[in-house]
Amino acid sequence: MLGFLIAFGFVLSGAVGALAYFMPAIVTAIQDTGHTIDRDIPTPKATAAASSAPLPSASASATAPPAPGQPFTVLLLGSDNDAKFGGTVLTQSMILARVNPTTKQVVMESIPRDLWVPLSSGGNAKIDAAYLHGGPSGAVATVEEDFHIHIDHYAWIGLLGLVNLINQVGGIDVVATNPVMDDFYPADLSGKDPYGYERVAVLPGPQHMSGVQALMYVRSRHGDLRSDFGRSQRQQQVLLALRAKAKLLGIADLPDIATAMANDFSTDMSIPEIASLLPIASSVQLQNVKQVILSSPYTSNFEVDNELALQPNWNLILPETHLYFPAV
Amino acid sequence: MSPTVRRALSVIVLLALMAGFGFGVNRLIASRKHKIPTEASVFIPTAERPKIVLPGTLYLAQNGDIYRLSDGFFTDLHLSTTTGLWMQPAYIPNSQDIVAVLRAAEYSNLYLLNSQGTIIRRLSNNAYPKNGKVYLNHWMFYPHMGADGNTIYFSYDQPKDSATYAVDFSVWTGTLNGTLAGKELSVSNPFTGGDVDATPMANGSVIYSKYAIGSGNAYSQIAIQVKPLGNPTILTTPTQDCGQPSPSPDGTKVAMICIGGTGLQSTRLEVATLTKGKLGTPVTLVNNCLCADPVWSPDGTGLVYYNTADITGHFELWWIKGAESAAPSPPLQVTTNLDFDATSPPSWSPLSSVPVMSR
Repeated sequence: MLGFLIAFGFVLSGAVGALAYFMPAIVTAIQDTGHTIDRDIPTPKATAAASSAPLPSASASATAPPAPGQPFTVLLLGSDNDAKFGGTVLTQSMILARVNPTTKQVVMESIPRDLWVPLSSGGNAKIDAAYLHGGPSGAVATVEEDFHIHIDHYAWIGLLGLVNLINQVGGIDVVATNPVMDDFYPADLSGKDPYGYERVAVLPGPQHMSGVQALMYVRSRHGDLRSDFGRSQRQQQVLLALRAKAKLLGIADLPDIATAMANDFSTDMSIPEIASLLPIASSVQLQNVKQVILSSPYTSNFEVDNELALQPNWNLILPETHLYFPAV
Repeated sequence: MSPTVRRALSVIVLLALMAGFGFGVNRLIASRKHKIPTEASVFIPTAERPKIVLPGTLYLAQNGDIYRLSDGFFTDLHLSTTTGLWMQPAYIPNSQDIVAVLRAAEYSNLYLLNSQGTIIRRLSNNAYPKNGKVYLNHWMFYPHMGADGNTIYFSYDQPKDSATYAVDFSVWTGTLNGTLAGKELSVSNPFTGGDVDATPMANGSVIYSKYAIGSGNAYSQIAIQVKPLGNPTILTTPTQDCGQPSPSPDGTKVAMICIGGTGLQSTRLEVATLTKGKLGTPVTLVNNCLCADPVWSPDGTGLVYYNTADITGHFELWWIKGAESAAPSPPLQVTTNLDFDATSPPSWSPLSSVPVMSR
């Protein structure tokens, strides 16, 4: 009996030691992961569309989660969530990712934030407002309904979350496509006036970027002829660079990463599901990554409500999207 | 000692052992963490010995400081990073001095330094002193010196139109002893980032990377500028996406970095002949890498460049002997455990001895 108690004491103390180590990850798991997607968002009330393009009509429907090893679709969302937004944020970045764990193939399709679409919450607006009006569920429902696809999971990350994640993996290596110049880059993370501006000059070519440098690279758009499309391409680049660093990570690294991203990350995936993605991310070869940017002719500029937006050409977007994301 | 005391002591010892075991488990798991070098990691060039001794003197930048590599030893110039980060050193022909960039948060200036790292003078004044109008600051990068040791070439974000957000680099030239930004040489494509990496050639022309945007993609082309503000001669195609040109000392070859591969996440190091303003078919020396900043040796018999040594991604110096020949040697990693600034091309002076004398 005494021997059993002593053994139990050691087991218990070991468990407490392990629990203490993983505490940050556990707290994050409780706070930031395992959120559910509310699929009862109202269907679009397509008001008088400024768009003359045919409107999507299918409504999203819940389906069973993909079995392990089966392809799945994730909607990656990125937001400006600094102080000046006061908790009401748009999504500056929307990337649809289709992951096939068996063939280790990945497709990334960037959805322009200015795309003028019917929102799941009703009315037409730029698609970046879907998150503003309906949170992750609103963004998921809007993309599902407009693109006629099913989304299995979402992951949302804020500015500081991205910066801290990149710093946590020791920075990333990126081939900057061109000099990224911006005299009106938001100074919201530099401790200055959140409504002020600062200058950015990301020099071209291969380089090692810290979190802040990478954020400048993916966020700047004023000096790019392609505006948001250039930014979309750079965002996909940074995701691929992060993928390379996933090879360095293991389960023992999760607490540090969880601490780094606390309050700036949310997903409906559980910790085991996220952990299962690490080996997939690290095993995907660059040549097995397909990148899609919905620039012209998939979209065209137009003016609506006295602001510039992008008119979707659904006749081109939907067939292209359904090449990689199964239609529903 | 009474049995009660002995029992109490045993319990205390057991509890201490259990606590120690718990702590040990905690630390054991922590030891399984991957050793990812972070931004705060320290890589000290002066503590490293290159695997080979390269002739002359190489100036390289790391973590906001500039180092001199000569006779197989690194020397730290110990430049102050109080007001910014030092980068892009450029040696001055027939001199021991260098020009380098001091990059602050929202502007950068060119400085003249001696080989020991003492600032001789600031060459530009690109800071706008008042708050609230950050767009009135300017950038200067990529200094390169002409053979006369006085003419300088660099990229400058002038002219710019902040009202339209257009901020692009153009190639400018001037003199150390006269007006620094004396003449604009190239007309950049607006909203592309512009023209960078200008290097003077023996015939008086300037070779540089010209950025453009077409078919939704940003790309670079190697360009040669003969007349100021004239149409440049474009040497490579948009599909090749080549930049960072380095002309060989005799001007007959150009080393360059071309971007390829899915996700724009890998580069190639290529060398091509340059004859009468035309490039020959490029030869790929290194493929599928993160190669950057090739620079020919002063005698033109090889070149150095940066590339990552492993997945941790820190840029090391590499050397290819016989890069100009039909059968170049395999790349050789010159440094280890360092982390060079890959946006700062090495500058390779033929001079190896470094007296304190300066201009």
